[in-house]
Amino acid sequence: MNREFEPAGLRRRLAATAIDFVAVPTLALLIMLVTGVLEHADDFVGNQVVIKVVLLGISSYLILNGWLLFKRGQTLGKLMAGIRIVSNTTGGPAPLFRALLPRALFFPLLYLIVLPGPCLIPMLDLAFIFGKSRRTLHDRICQTSVVRV
Amino acid sequence: MLNKTLLRPISWLAFISIAAPAGAAAACEGIDSQPDKQRVFSEAWGTRYNGQRFQSAENTSINAETAPGLTLKWAYGLSTDSPRSYPLVTSDTLFIGDGGRGLVALDRETGCVRWENNQVKDISTAIVPATIDGQPALVFSQRYSGVYAASAATGKILWHSHITRNPVPMYSGTPLVFSNKVFVPISSQEIALSFNPFYGCCTTSGAMAALDIQTGELLWYRPTIKQEPRVTGRHFLFVEKQGPSGAPVWGAPMLDTERGLLVFGTGQNYSHPATQTSDAIFAVHIETGEIAWVSQFTANDAYNMACEISPAHPNCPAGLGPDLDFGAPPIKVSLASGKDLYLAGQKSGDIYAIEPETGETVWATKIGAGGKLGGIHWGMAASESLGLLFVPISDVRSENDDPGRNPGLHALRLNDGTIKWSLQRQNQCTEPTCWTGLSSAISAGPGIVVTGGLDGVLEVVGADDGKRLWSFNTNREFTAVNNIPTKGGGIDAHGPMLADNLLIVSSGYGSFFQEGGNALLVFSIAEGVSP
Repeated sequence: MNREFEPAGLRRRLAATAIDFVAVPTLALLIMLVTGVLEHADDFVGNQVVIKVVLLGISSYLILNGWLLFKRGQTLGKLMAGIRIVSNTTGGPAPLFRALLPRALFFPLLYLIVLPGPCLIPMLDLAFIFGKSRRTLHDRICQTSVVRV
Repeated sequence: MLNKTLLRPISWLAFISIAAPAGAAAACEGIDSQPDKQRVFSEAWGTRYNGQRFQSAENTSINAETAPGLTLKWAYGLSTDSPRSYPLVTSDTLFIGDGGRGLVALDRETGCVRWENNQVKDISTAIVPATIDGQPALVFSQRYSGVYAASAATGKILWHSHITRNPVPMYSGTPLVFSNKVFVPISSQEIALSFNPFYGCCTTSGAMAALDIQTGELLWYRPTIKQEPRVTGRHFLFVEKQGPSGAPVWGAPMLDTERGLLVFGTGQNYSHPATQTSDAIFAVHIETGEIAWVSQFTANDAYNMACEISPAHPNCPAGLGPDLDFGAPPIKVSLASGKDLYLAGQKSGDIYAIEPETGETVWATKIGAGGKLGGIHWGMAASESLGLLFVPISDVRSENDDPGRNPGLHALRLNDGTIKWSLQRQNQCTEPTCWTGLSSAISAGPGIVVTGGLDGVLEVVGADDGKRLWSFNTNREFTAVNNIPTKGGGIDAHGPMLADNLLIVSSGYGSFFQEGGNALLVFSIAEGVSP
């Protein structure tokens, strides 16, 4: 990693996460309003509701943050917190398909934090931030780091 | 190789995992894992099919003379802080749904685990007995996934049935098994889905279903609303309001074996237009599901959980209703004159005596202020020999200065509904989650009534005079036979049970801001009834 970039502090990362945590479902609710997905009882049959909610979460994340991630390596939360994602190997912009889009798959898992048992999954992800390099588990999988702008 | 960077988060997580209650099962050693099913101490949620929740002297040795000698025999830590299962007791085994662990068969003497089945977690009803392929079986429901039959010998699931007529059913009421059928009360998840302002509330109806006991196949299905839902309006430009809906059946049914009628109560409508079948008592023929009669006691009651956020929530019905369900199952009694009556208690605090042939009201009495959590919430009990109906009143959240507020136990004469005695409950705690009233169902035995309070206090009361005979505060910590942290709380839902020489209760119920807990408590007196 390019050592001229300092890893983003825990407070800034938590602040960015908190902003995204609120902003993404707000957009998801607007999508629900327009598309009618999850509007009727039949939409809740079987496990379809879980699939729909996850897809809704990923879609909302990408609609809100896709352009920012592509152009600046930032989500809305990271933009406001003054931090961004870089490649851990080059210190430069992270590649879109290998590094940035997989984060959209991780994002819906963040909401498991409210469930007593499954909350261990996002906590496991977060726990890795206490390491020396301050990289979460999804940072390590995506080979990225989050640094101050 | 693991370096310090990886070890730190892993050890941190391991600490959390260990600190969380793991719930190690205490397996029986030196005890036959095959339960004895020869003697079963109840046949339905209401103890007998008539719903009286009265245990005769043939089935319990706990009475006015012996009750003061009750002592705690063992405690078991359940894997939930809101127990919603009610046990089935045989001569040597106690079957119960143990929260996230699943169905367990506990040895009656020690509480050790004879067998457990982890396939069906969070069982939401009582366990009731059945016979399938000539073998003893257990029938129960899981709140969202459906109805199950399991072998009483091994816990193996024999069949599973899910009602598809309602896309989002909720199985809150205990099934009733009679002859070759299982009768299944159907409520709806729409009561909670209405929270979502983008959800177009509501289209589903409550129902009663009959399944084949051998296979679980649907025999008949009786919705409580016969009109098809239609769009009644829109909000946010796109979201369609729909109705009628609701009239859920979330309590157990009562069976009148002489008339071949299944009798059950319904809740409120979820959306407008209101129907004539909400907050009503239904009587249907058990062979066909055809309606014999329906008697509604509160009209125009439309309410759903969106109203708990705000009456201005777009899914909260305009002209908000009082939410006065019949959750407590009806009771059938025979008077000394030979006349039969059905008795129904409503969340409003009203008690109705109903003519079994027509559904007409014979007498009515109101006790307490009533409210969304009762009034009469989960269940009453009756003693035909004493000619008394025992009515627990919750009056949770009623204003303290409401002159009608009357939390406690009340005994009504069966023939005219007049009150013979009342035992008011006094404040015994100050925590905001601790209330004085009686929300859970109660049980009766020879000369006694057993109650469990929202404050966690379990009491045995003289049936003839309302005097306290025995009391035990369950709102404390216990040392459990399965070695997990175990604490009592408020007593709610199915309430206490009498079986042989045992008094059994689950303490703790955190579903609606009551005091949570996970203690399954088994009290006993020395001598049981003759086998």
